[in-house]
Parts: sequence; structure tokens; C-alpha cells
Amino acid sequence: MSTLDILLQQLANGLILGSFYALVALGYTMVYGIIKLLNFAHGDLYMCGAFIGFLFLSLVSGLLGESWGGILCSMILSMITVGLLGVLIQRVAYLPMLAAPRLSILITALAVSMVLSNGVMALTDGEYEAFSTDLGFEGLEMGNVFVTYTQIALVVSAALLMVTLFFFINRTMYGKAMRAIAIDQDACRLMGINVNKVITLTFFIGSALAAAAGVMAGVYYGSVHFFMGFVIGLKAFTAAVIGGIGSIRGAMLGGLVLGLLEAFGTQIPFIGSEWKDVFSFGILILLLVFKPTGLLGKTEIERM
Amino acid sequence: MKKSMLTAALGCALTGLFMLGQAATAADLKIGIMVPTTGSEATAGKDMENAILLAADEINQAGGVLGMKITTTTGDDACDPQQATAAASKLVSADVAAVVGGYCSGATLPTLKLYGDAGVPFIIAASNSTKLIDANQGNAFLVNSTGYDQVNTAVELFTSKGANKLAIIHQGDGYSEDLAKLTKEKWSSLGKEVVAYEVVNKGEQDHSSLVTRIKSKAPDAIFWTAYYADGALVIKQLRQAGYRKLIAVGDGSNSPKLLEIGGKATEGVFCFSNPTVDYLPAAKAFSEAYKKKYDQDPDAYSSLAYDGMKLMADAIQRAGSTDKAAIIKAIAATKDFKGIAGPISFTPKNTLAHSNFVTLIAKGGKWVLNK
Repeated sequence: MSTLDILLQQLANGLILGSFYALVALGYTMVYGIIKLLNFAHGDLYMCGAFIGFLFLSLVSGLLGESWGGILCSMILSMITVGLLGVLIQRVAYLPMLAAPRLSILITALAVSMVLSNGVMALTDGEYEAFSTDLGFEGLEMGNVFVTYTQIALVVSAALLMVTLFFFINRTMYGKAMRAIAIDQDACRLMGINVNKVITLTFFIGSALAAAAGVMAGVYYGSVHFFMGFVIGLKAFTAAVIGGIGSIRGAMLGGLVLGLLEAFGTQIPFIGSEWKDVFSFGILILLLVFKPTGLLGKTEIERM
Repeated sequence: MKKSMLTAALGCALTGLFMLGQAATAADLKIGIMVPTTGSEATAGKDMENAILLAADEINQAGGVLGMKITTTTGDDACDPQQATAAASKLVSADVAAVVGGYCSGATLPTLKLYGDAGVPFIIAASNSTKLIDANQGNAFLVNSTGYDQVNTAVELFTSKGANKLAIIHQGDGYSEDLAKLTKEKWSSLGKEVVAYEVVNKGEQDHSSLVTRIKSKAPDAIFWTAYYADGALVIKQLRQAGYRKLIAVGDGSNSPKLLEIGGKATEGVFCFSNPTVDYLPAAKAFSEAYKKKYDQDPDAYSSLAYDGMKLMADAIQRAGSTDKAAIIKAIAATKDFKGIAGPISFTPKNTLAHSNFVTLIAKGGKWVLNK
């Protein structure tokens, strides 16, 4: 493989990885934008999404097979279920804490994360479950660069989800309400917007996106386990910070940037792939120090 | 309360009578069994205990050893170093003639000193850390192959497949790094090239960077030395990226789960395994007897435990007495003892002279013996 081949291959790898990060980062950033909460349980919702997708796939595979039809169906079912789970969490754990200091709700989020991951661990005995799908390894081969159709399908579906979300936020009344609440909740209430309903909707969409990413990861990697949400939760947080937390476009961009940075960073000679996480979290630290608002975030002016 | 005390007293009396009766008929040959019968590894330990008891029964039915019947005492090491020393002390003070067992290397290690100081002959059935070799005082014998043997088996396979450029991937933990390092040294000493020596983080799902790196080095063979869960993902992504040549995995990945997670990608992957019953033609009779007696299938290390007991009896017979030093001498002098897991002879370091590792290949979603 020539250097150019390696660069092109890593570009493809980075985009695939980046679209997973972006999907998960969107949920982070939406929730932060609207109630200023870093929802640390978000990575675990991704994990729950993968497991619920796994369950649905084994249920529907008899009818629809283990190929794209079955996968799409179980992904949609998983998105709805995890969306509702996200709403339940918001109602039970976060709603009563909204008036409390910011730190209390942050700790609540950590607790929810533990409940979810340990709950799934108890249910599955900490075992790895094989996500059996019936997808081949056929793909496009351009010289030494190889991309499977599965990978292309995953990136395209991630892009479709993101474009849909983008239109929802920018072109619908609910989207407008979300943006308004992010700016000033009290004013929104005075204008007759049902703030709680919109917050609920935000949680639903954010969790559903995480579930979609979870099912995709299950399909792509072929196994799911209770701890899979931890690292991706941190990575998605990093992606959201890179893009500017609270910004939808920022999360998409941040996800892709992080994916590409990891893919190329690990190809630097003498830096093995085991340095991948050091690389991404090192960037997080640098960014928090030098440009805490991220690539697309606006500097917040606190009015007294 | 009173009733239970009465029962206990009665029980004691009966046992006493029974033991007297036994002692009156013939002298017993007391053998200690050290396996974990509680804790996380209890299943494997009980399986080994079952196999040892089965071997003892067979020996007794065939007339015993030197005219004596074998009786056993089990010490539970719980796969824990502290519990293991307690279990070993118990066996030593019960004055057993010899000990068979040892499953977790970490638990077996501290007992070597106790048995060594007491001069008790000890056949280590399953534990196989290379650390045991150095701690051995000369009285212990390993009937399971160690990491060195796996390296030899692996190198043999790669050489037979005409590989020159080898890539090795481990996970940075003691076990997989050790195996990777030994393989690297051995491969380099043969004048061949290790083109990639990589580490992956545990629990990592995306290995695309690693795959690109390895693919760019165009190795003839790839050796994954760590465990199945992450191994399946690495193999899958290697195959997805179009790597079509040889992939082999170490015994830590010897699990049906690897094939389940990896699916079609794992077809044709080689795996090195301890001699488990499923892959041993000679173990058929043992397997049937075990099933008949315990109503379950023998597990991974039962064949070695069974061989261990049979070898011990054979050595005592050859020694002609239950003198501990004589037994140790006899075990060391073992020449091609026909175990169901393969022939047993020992090196001067009391490890197996011939590796008993077998090579498996994934065919149709199952591990089968590679012929």
C-alpha cells in the first residue's frame, strides 16, 4: 500500500467512525442546549439501543430475515423504545432536579449511567452477545482502498438521519420552539410555548439517535456488551465540545473531525493505534484550555 | 437441637467404626486433590475433581496401587492464593502421599513452596504459567503445556504455511503480552521478520486504524494472542478490509463465542488449544465413562486431570513404595506415558517434553481439529 492508499483508506475509516460519533454527539448537544445538562447517561442509551435492537432483530429475523429489512425494522423499533426510555429518565430523574444546582443534576446523570450499564450487566451476566446479521463483505475496491457496502450504507443512513434532524430543527415549529427554549425558557413560557413538552421531545429525539447509532454499531462490529457505551459516550462528548457544545451543526462537524483526527493521528509513525484514546482526549483537554467554545460555538455572554 | 447432636454423635461413631474397618482390611494410599470447588472457577475445578475421582475408581477396580486402595482428600483452593495455601497446608498435614490438581496458576504458585518444603510429589494438571517453572523446587510436574509450547506450536504452523512476514497483536495484559513477546523472539531467532507488533486497548470496538496499519505491512500471517471478544472484532475488520491470508489466535480465544461474534469472517481461522476432550481421539472411552458416572459432558481440563491421576498411580507403582522422594524420582523418569491427552515425558525442568497443544481450525462455525 502506498502512502496515498493509506491516506484514502484512513479517510474512509475516519468518516465511518466520525458518523457514529456525530450521531451520539447530537443527543449530547441537544440536551445540553436546551437544559444545560451534560447527560452522562447518553452513552448508556446508545448501549441500550444496541441491546434492544439485538432483541428486536432476533424477534423479527424470522419474518424479515437478518439482512437490511430486518435491520431497518429493528433499528426503528429500537429508536422508539430507547426514545421512550430517554423520556422516562428525563421524567423520573431529571425533571425534579431542574431547579436544583447544576452539579446535583450532573451527579444524577452519572447515577443514571451506572443504573443503566449495571442493569444491563446484571441482565446479560456481563456476556458479549453476538449480533448475527447476514451482511457480506462485498464492497468497492479502488486499488488498495477497500470499503464494504455495509460501511457505505451505515454512513448514508447516518447522514440521512442528520439531514432530517437538521430540517426538523430549522424548518418546523417544534424546531423553532427548541431553539427558542435554548435561548430563554422563561420568555418561551410567557409566549405560550409548552416548555416541558418540548424538553420531552428533545430527550426523545436525542435518545432515539443514540439508539440508531447503537444498532448500527451492533450491525457493523457484530457484538454488543454492557460496557460499550462508556468510551463512545466520552468520545461523543469530546466531539460535541470540539464542535461547540449546544450547537447542532457543531456536533455533526465535531463528530466527523474527531473520527478523522483519530484515523490519521494513529498513522503517524511511532504512534501506534493504542494511542488512539490518548490522542482524542488530549485534543479535548487542549480545546477546553484554548477554545472552550469549540469550532462553531458562540461565546456566551452572561447578563447580570 | 438435641436430636441433631445425637445424629452428629452417631455419625462420628459410625465414621470411626467405618475407618477402623477400612484400616483393618488394607492400608490406603492417600492422594490429595487441590482444585477450586468454590468461587468463580468452581465449575472447572469440580470437573477436574470428577475426572481425578473417575481415574482413582478405575485404578481401584483394577486392583489399586501396590495392593493399596486409593482414597482422596480434596483441598479447595478457590482460585485464590490465600485459600490455596490453606488448602495445601491441610493436605500436607493430612499426610497425603502425593497431590494432583492445580487449575489457576495464581493460586497454584504459592503452594509450590509448601509442597516443596514438605517434599510432596505434585502433579500440576492444568495451571501452566511459565512462572511455575521457576518456583518449582523439583517435586512438581506440569502435565499441561506452558506458554513456550504454544509458541512452538504456533511457529510450526506459520512455518508450515510458508509464512515469512508475521504480524502479532496483543492487548497489553500479562497473558497476551507474554505470548506475543515469546512468539516475537522465537520468530526473529529463526531469521524471519515480525513486520508489525501492535497493541489494542481492551473493549475497543473500532480497529480500522490498526487494520490499515497492518494491511500496509502485507504480513503473510497474523497472530492474535489475546481473548475472543475483542479478537472476533479484529478478525472481522481485517477480513472486511480485504485481508485474505492466514490468521491464528491463541488459546485465550479458544471459544465458540469467537466464531459466533465473528461469523463468516472467522471461517478458516486457526486456533491453538490445550488438549480438550472434544479433540482427542484417545479420550473417547474416558468421555463415555465420565458421562455415565456424572451425567454431564467432561469440560476443558478433565483429560489432563485424569492423566495426572493415572500418571501418579503409575509412578507410585514404578517407585515400588510410597516414599515421597522415590515417587518424585519415578515421575521424573516417566518415559512416554500414554495419557489420553498425549504422551507424557518430562524435561529436566519438569515440564512436558512434547507440546500437547493442538491446532484447531474454524469450519462451518465450529472448531475442528486441523489435520
